Amino acid sequence: MENQASSAIVTDSTSDIPSEMLERYQIYQIQVDLTLDGKTYLDGFDLSRNDFYKRLPTLKDLPTTASPSSGRFQTLYERVFQDGFSEIISIHASSKLSGIFNSARLAAQDFTANIQVIDSKQLSLGLGFQVIQAARAAQRKLPREKILDEVRSIRERVRVFALLDTFTYIHRSGRVSWAKARLGSLLNIKPIVELKDGEVLNRGLARTQRNGLRYLEEFLTDLGPLEYLAILHTNAAETGQAFLDKVLPPQICEPLLVNVTTIIGTHVGPNGIGFAAVVK
Amino acid sequence: MSEEKSQNQQTITGAQYKALINAGLTWLRTNQESVNALNVFPVPDGDTGTNMVLTLQAAVDEMSGVPDKKVGEIAERLAHGALMGARGNSGVILSQIWRGFSKGIENCTTMSAACLVEGLKQARETAYKGVVRPVEGTILTVCKDMAIAAEKSLKETDDPYQIIKIVTDAAQVSVDNTPNLLDVLREAGVVDAGGKGLMHIFEGMVRFIDGEPLDITPVQVQPLSIIGQQEAMNSAEPGQDYEVIVDFTPHQPLALETFYQELENIGTSIQVGEGDGMYRMHIHVPTEKRYEPIDYTMSLGTITKVHIENLMIQMDPAAGKPKEEPIKLAQVSPGDIALVTVSPGSGFSRIFASLGAAALVEGGQTMNPSTQEILAAFEDLPTDQVIILPNNKNIVMAANSAAELSVKQVRVIPSVTVPQGLAAMLRLIPGQDLETVTKEMETALTEVQSGEITTAVRDVEIDGIDVKEGQIISLHNGKLVGSNENLEDGCLTFLEAAKAEDYELITMFYGENISQEGAEGMAELIQEKYPDQVVELQYGGQPHYQFILSIE
Repeated sequence: MENQASSAIVTDSTSDIPSEMLERYQIYQIQVDLTLDGKTYLDGFDLSRNDFYKRLPTLKDLPTTASPSSGRFQTLYERVFQDGFSEIISIHASSKLSGIFNSARLAAQDFTANIQVIDSKQLSLGLGFQVIQAARAAQRKLPREKILDEVRSIRERVRVFALLDTFTYIHRSGRVSWAKARLGSLLNIKPIVELKDGEVLNRGLARTQRNGLRYLEEFLTDLGPLEYLAILHTNAAETGQAFLDKVLPPQICEPLLVNVTTIIGTHVGPNGIGFAAVVK
Repeated sequence: MSEEKSQNQQTITGAQYKALINAGLTWLRTNQESVNALNVFPVPDGDTGTNMVLTLQAAVDEMSGVPDKKVGEIAERLAHGALMGARGNSGVILSQIWRGFSKGIENCTTMSAACLVEGLKQARETAYKGVVRPVEGTILTVCKDMAIAAEKSLKETDDPYQIIKIVTDAAQVSVDNTPNLLDVLREAGVVDAGGKGLMHIFEGMVRFIDGEPLDITPVQVQPLSIIGQQEAMNSAEPGQDYEVIVDFTPHQPLALETFYQELENIGTSIQVGEGDGMYRMHIHVPTEKRYEPIDYTMSLGTITKVHIENLMIQMDPAAGKPKEEPIKLAQVSPGDIALVTVSPGSGFSRIFASLGAAALVEGGQTMNPSTQEILAAFEDLPTDQVIILPNNKNIVMAANSAAELSVKQVRVIPSVTVPQGLAAMLRLIPGQDLETVTKEMETALTEVQSGEITTAVRDVEIDGIDVKEGQIISLHNGKLVGSNENLEDGCLTFLEAAKAEDYELITMFYGENISQEGAEGMAELIQEKYPDQVVELQYGGQPHYQFILSIE
């Protein structure tokens, strides 16, 4: 196979990049495991996101997620080199929230060839936009350092916010310390969160979706002109589409509407709405 | 089982090494669920016990195909299998431990004491390198303590089997110490799951060496003395109406697994303790099954003592929450904004506290707190930025006076109802300055409709509405909107006046003068009338008002 790109770009399924774009930009993607009622699924592959979110609230035990093993990364990297690439840039979910980056890092140690593993400090399209930018730069045959510069530039400009429908899932996930402090929250509250520097921050609380979406819109407007925008949702396509129609700035030509990965969905629950935006 | 080795054997052969690892896996699997139960680490990537078992299983599968010859080769295959099969954070670290171990013993044909110690040393180093940000109080610390103990032990013995025992003891001590190193464990009252899993693997090896069984039932039998004592009464849930503790001496040796299974059919929170041939069984059961554990244990042996306690009676019947659970106010630091709220009832106090109130002042319609009382509530707080939510029109002025008297920067948000105060509280966004938060909160006041439902204490006519003493009256944002003969109509009159059908959420806070059942019935009724709105029922605990309602 004749490879046109200068470096191969690898990511994981928490990047939420639509499959059509993965193909268009020749991005390699590794699937994260999800265990549901004792059965293990590959994220997005053998369990549809729709089915997952429908089942999520009825499950007695929380689904569990597991990073792909270093071994699986090794196998993928080997395949990439067999495809004729001599360099790999592997960009992954925030190391503060997931072990995926670490698995990739450990796998890369066993290769003498050039594999650069990058902590995106983000999730979903916050990660995805960094990956897409890298792939575009690679297709333009930019040298590795330039590709990394482009990734860094997106990482510094991407902002990810979300309105969760409930505290329940983020609290149960145990990954967010301030959510724990709200343990005693007796009222049903919808938290607004920002994913920044790999961590989940509290950016406000709402009791109704209407109010929450208004705050979310304010956060988006306050960012100023945008380069890329993705509206994220956890099985709330209709609300997501309505939000997108409302906030879409005219200069964005390819806005994304994404039902986010079950790996994140497990920890935030259904009916959440958010966005990943790259500021100009 | 233990015939393969003798105590003065100085090396471990390949076949023996395989047997030891297999024993470690079996014992880890036996304890898998108890390790899963410990999974409260801030980043629990899946179930720790399950992930460690799956990781080690993959390693053992790979190892099994290697001839029994060179221990270094076996360890290398084991490490490779673990790497391929690693699942979750603990699995990844476990795979790094085996990887380091195999590096340490790669040239060994059989494993001497020195070889084993070198392996553990390398295991420790590789494990730490395998983590981006090593945290103490985890499996890493346990691995480190084991390596240190191994190195020290070389002075005392050159028997590798003896060293395995020594490092296992060190692992136990280290696991027990993890809560002292990691706050999150101490707060959760558990030890680190990954560390415990690692300990179980080595414990399995020791059991194998000593010829003890590895596949015994995973029922945790505890020292008799601790059963039932650590029971915190604030954890009772539906189906846990009664706590039953039975002391008995079985006629025949107890088949623990069957015993445990039978108990699981009866109730939850099962604990079994043993001492001097006597057993103590602890269980939570629903009311209708409260005698079943006794009947069942009587069929097994002689009962010496029975203890039955009604857990529900210890609960605050109104709140459905444990009475003794103290209200936990937000801790403020210099520079923080402290929220001071006036609360008309115990239920509201809990809600305010759960939303981040730093101080509470009791008060409401007929119990207005004084300026002094409000001032006293926040004067001592270690911050000079304060926001007061008076939540009643008769308290706003006292709050303003308190603000003037204080040397701190105090803002009063003129909330005249509790729903307004709650709506305002939600706008305390961490990291924002006092002026911004004040503005946000003032805006929030206008975004909620407040309703108050109470009984008229005298005849009156206001705004053209004729009220007779004893009637139920409804107020919408403080304005009388109707009088009715019953509570249901009182609530509905308010909801109509406030156009609840245009909103998303109806929250009903019921007062101290109405039962939980009565409130639940009313909430169901309103949900039927307003099927498109979310109806949420909360205990407010306010006097005089059957209901305070919030529409938003």
